Amino acid sequence: MSKETREHLSALVDGEVSRETSRFLVRRLGADDELRATWTRYHLVRDCLRHQDGSIAGEDLCARVSSALENEQPGTSTRVLRASWLKPVTGVAIAASVALMAIVAVGPRISGMPAAPDNVANQPQAEPFTSPQSLTAAPYSSQASLAGRSNSQSQKMNAYLLRHYQATGTTGGKGFVTFVPIVITRSASGVEPDGRATDSDSDVSKDEEATSR
Amino acid sequence: MRSRVASWFLTAVILGSAGIVSASNIEDPRSMLEQMRMAMSQMTYQGTFVYVQGEDVETMRITHVSDEHGVRERLVAVSGAPREILRDSNGVRWVLADDHSIFEDPGFNRSFFPELPLDQHDETDLSYTMKVGSVERIAGHQARNLKVLPRDQYRYGYSLWLEQHSGLLLKWELVDYNRKPLATLMFTDIRLGSEVDGNELMSTSQLKKFKTTASKLPAGRGHTIKTPKWQPDKLPPGFRMTAHRYFGQESEGIYEHLVYSDGLAAVSVYIESRKAEGGVQDGISKLGTTHAFSRVTDELTITVVGDVPAITVKEIAEAVGIAAP
Repeated sequence: MSKETREHLSALVDGEVSRETSRFLVRRLGADDELRATWTRYHLVRDCLRHQDGSIAGEDLCARVSSALENEQPGTSTRVLRASWLKPVTGVAIAASVALMAIVAVGPRISGMPAAPDNVANQPQAEPFTSPQSLTAAPYSSQASLAGRSNSQSQKMNAYLLRHYQATGTTGGKGFVTFVPIVITRSASGVEPDGRATDSDSDVSKDEEATSR
Repeated sequence: MRSRVASWFLTAVILGSAGIVSASNIEDPRSMLEQMRMAMSQMTYQGTFVYVQGEDVETMRITHVSDEHGVRERLVAVSGAPREILRDSNGVRWVLADDHSIFEDPGFNRSFFPELPLDQHDETDLSYTMKVGSVERIAGHQARNLKVLPRDQYRYGYSLWLEQHSGLLLKWELVDYNRKPLATLMFTDIRLGSEVDGNELMSTSQLKKFKTTASKLPAGRGHTIKTPKWQPDKLPPGFRMTAHRYFGQESEGIYEHLVYSDGLAAVSVYIESRKAEGGVQDGISKLGTTHAFSRVTDELTITVVGDVPAITVKEIAEAVGIAAP
């Protein structure tokens, strides 16, 4: 599903979409399982974020949509539409070499430059925190990107990650919540061929931007 | 419905008889956090929740069984590619069904990495402000809100909605120092005790046919020296060491794992000889809200991993040096 479609769907949930786009999306909703699942999730999320009582857009929503379509366009070959839009929800195929690269590097590091993201180092600090000179770090001579990270390097990072979660999972009482980030990882879907993690990059920039304010 | 109410009641009675719940301290933030910790680890529960982070929305399902066999847990993504975490006394397995692969880390004695109890960690009061909020209805249950907000940018904050009787986490919101939400998790349905279908602990994938890759990190008793050979000589306010494991001889390559916590957030510091198989690449990395920072020296690789802001792992990693004798 394209980003544009997701944005339109989100706008539709909020009732902020043009009549023409709305009709197009509603028509697709009647035939596209993936779109329908996303639609249901968006409603659920909206309800969650608005701190409502937990009620969700029920299963009957799509039945109503289908019904409305039937009533609106009698004679339209819904079956043909369904056939053309239906796709198996098989998820993202992840190649072995990519699947284990759970931690995605953010931002390039160039020799002599501060570690990315730059604004991390420039953030105002709440309390003095001086770094010692005990060790001399190797020059930053390579880019920290998925493309530059070998399979063994990725597996090492994954090992650190799993061990960390396992060793500290009960700290703070979060329990299973600790493991959620690793399950939601869909490396292949968020990585461009050059190894940059598009979604994660934007997340980081937002994250760090907020932190630096 | 009656059985669900009975389950909540029974759970509350059990936890209460164990001294976890006390009417006098039910709205004390520390008591609420302790109650949550006990509920999350010792109760048997199963439910569907939605997780929102940035533009990503995931529906997931958790089955957590705590019985005479210990804790067994299965966390599975309902939407998108089939991914799951299977956890029991043998360790944790990360299953990527599309790829027919499993990445696993073996289990180890919990005493190797003891948790620093909140009530023994006075620093928590200095690192966070806590406020008990109102009661809201979430997933059909009454939940009381608890806000745990960071006093500086070295840690995240949390807004928690805990089931009123048991303390089970029904909604969780991660926020940064500026109170900006970073991620939200919320149950849409949840079952307890006898209502839980234990069959869901079993993966639906044919795991025996999958390729398994082991983490290769030392997991045995190992050799623990009294003080770490390497450690950060400066730490963000409130953090202190809670665990330390040291393996190997210098001639063979060393592996040292130190855990630091402020009572709520935890950070792992890994120090390995570069002779160890598989290195790391220096720089900062990110997985969801987890950050990692690696430094590579002539002899060592130093990697700090934590569910904390990037600045925290970066500064801890840069502060690692030979421990003072």
